Amino acid sequence: MITRGSQRGKMLKPTAQGRVGHFMLAGIALLTLTLLLSVIIPLIVQGAPWLNLAFVFRRPQELGSGGVGPEIVNTVVMVGITQFISLPLALLNAIYRVEYDHGSQFARWFDPGLQILLSLPTMIIGLIVVDVAIAHWHWPVSVGSGIVALSIINWPFSIALMVQVLRQIPDSWREASWALGASRWQTIIRLILPVAGADIIEQTGVAVARLMGETAALIYTAGLNVGKKFSLTAPGETLAVHLWYVRTEGLTAHADQEAAATGLVLLILVLMVLWGSQKMAQWMKA
Amino acid sequence: MMKNAGRDVGGAPDIAVRQLSVWYNQMPALQNINLYLGAGQVMAIIGPSGCGKSTFLRVLNRMIERLPSVRVEGAVRIGHFDVFDDHVDVTGLRRAVGMVFQHPNPFPMTIFDNVAYGPRIFGIKSSAQLRKTVEDSLKQASLWDEVRGKMRRNAETLSGGQQQRLCIARALAVHPEVLLLDEPTASLDPVSSAKIEELIVQFKSHYTMIIVTHNLQQAARVSDVVAFFEQGRLIEMGYTQDIFTAPKEKRTEEFLTGRFD
Repeated sequence: MITRGSQRGKMLKPTAQGRVGHFMLAGIALLTLTLLLSVIIPLIVQGAPWLNLAFVFRRPQELGSGGVGPEIVNTVVMVGITQFISLPLALLNAIYRVEYDHGSQFARWFDPGLQILLSLPTMIIGLIVVDVAIAHWHWPVSVGSGIVALSIINWPFSIALMVQVLRQIPDSWREASWALGASRWQTIIRLILPVAGADIIEQTGVAVARLMGETAALIYTAGLNVGKKFSLTAPGETLAVHLWYVRTEGLTAHADQEAAATGLVLLILVLMVLWGSQKMAQWMKA
Repeated sequence: MMKNAGRDVGGAPDIAVRQLSVWYNQMPALQNINLYLGAGQVMAIIGPSGCGKSTFLRVLNRMIERLPSVRVEGAVRIGHFDVFDDHVDVTGLRRAVGMVFQHPNPFPMTIFDNVAYGPRIFGIKSSAQLRKTVEDSLKQASLWDEVRGKMRRNAETLSGGQQQRLCIARALAVHPEVLLLDEPTASLDPVSSAKIEELIVQFKSHYTMIIVTHNLQQAARVSDVVAFFEQGRLIEMGYTQDIFTAPKEKRTEEFLTGRFD
């Protein structure tokens, strides 16, 4: 804007079509934002007055009242152990898919297979765990069974995320590494993983956030109540399941407020995970 | 064919290619290439796009095997490496035959880590030794004066020309004997290109070099011998001066004078 005020030169403006397109897209963006806020604002209005330290730390009571302390623990521990089990497996799968040459047959079955697993309703995975682990092996409805269900859900999801991360790495870097005499494995250990590390963490945050909101697969595997003390074999209701339960089965006068407050706790947890993983990724890239 | 004119060529090996053919699926990419390059000489490969220049370069360090459904025939010998032998030490071959690519491709790491990457792969852990190798390689690539004291900066902060010289330093750090340069100045400005050319001239007789280039003046300035490729065939090869002043083949002459369809 050097010419402003000097009356020299002229402003170059976008064409009429360009401006119409801009406004249309801006309008759609605004609509999306409105929809998001129309979910979040009522949640805050309903839930915030109910949200206090007692609610966050106390145990839940019958009929869906009380606090959500154990639910927070269950959510964090179950999702954490799930990632611990399924992320390394998914990363190895993705490394094999992206970094190694395999027969064309492999990719022909792998990619559609992954798509099918991804589009499977999580409820189905929950029912498979019920049929096999709980009905057949007589596992209890528990934190442990829930972790198995979550791991099966997260495995293909994380493979897809990790494949995406590895594909973003330009081949020219791999070529440079191979041309120096590095083997494929050395290239993975010394180049690919260090370079992809930040993105792996960021995408894991996305996977964690998704698992925290999982309900369908957990209702029959981890259950709708919590054990007296945390244990892998005790029932392990999570925040999202609690939210669903209070909202649909809650019989107290304040069921809606309690559900909204639970939702807020979950939302805050998710935002913390996303924010934390992003900050960590930024720190690693710097 | 080409004899090395009694220069000190150190450990630089000669390169002999016999009846080399390469196919991608059923498509022939190179057909019956025969050539010999003396130790410590610089060969420029010229020719129209898609003539097999880059394929030829990637056969020499077996980078070609990364592509699916490639078949090769014939024999390539680089020094004591029989390149197509099933038992050849590919890691050793690639270490001996350095490569510089068309687009500067430094790793997204510090300048130091870029140059130290190769030596570390080969198991050098001592930081004193690494520092010395990095410094020597950067000096050889004429980059040391511009980056000394900035070893911890990310390589991506360098200019395009500096990045390409960093890639050359990275290749030199594993002490290669042959350098393959695949259009190393194609994405650089004239000043940066001139610096790379100077390096090639300095490296002469220390390394056996093959440079693919679309820049005929560059080929004339840096090379001892020129090979003209067209449609996967070696049309003509000879001393640079002879090729540019009196090409034997009509196609070569047409290409050099721009009367090429």
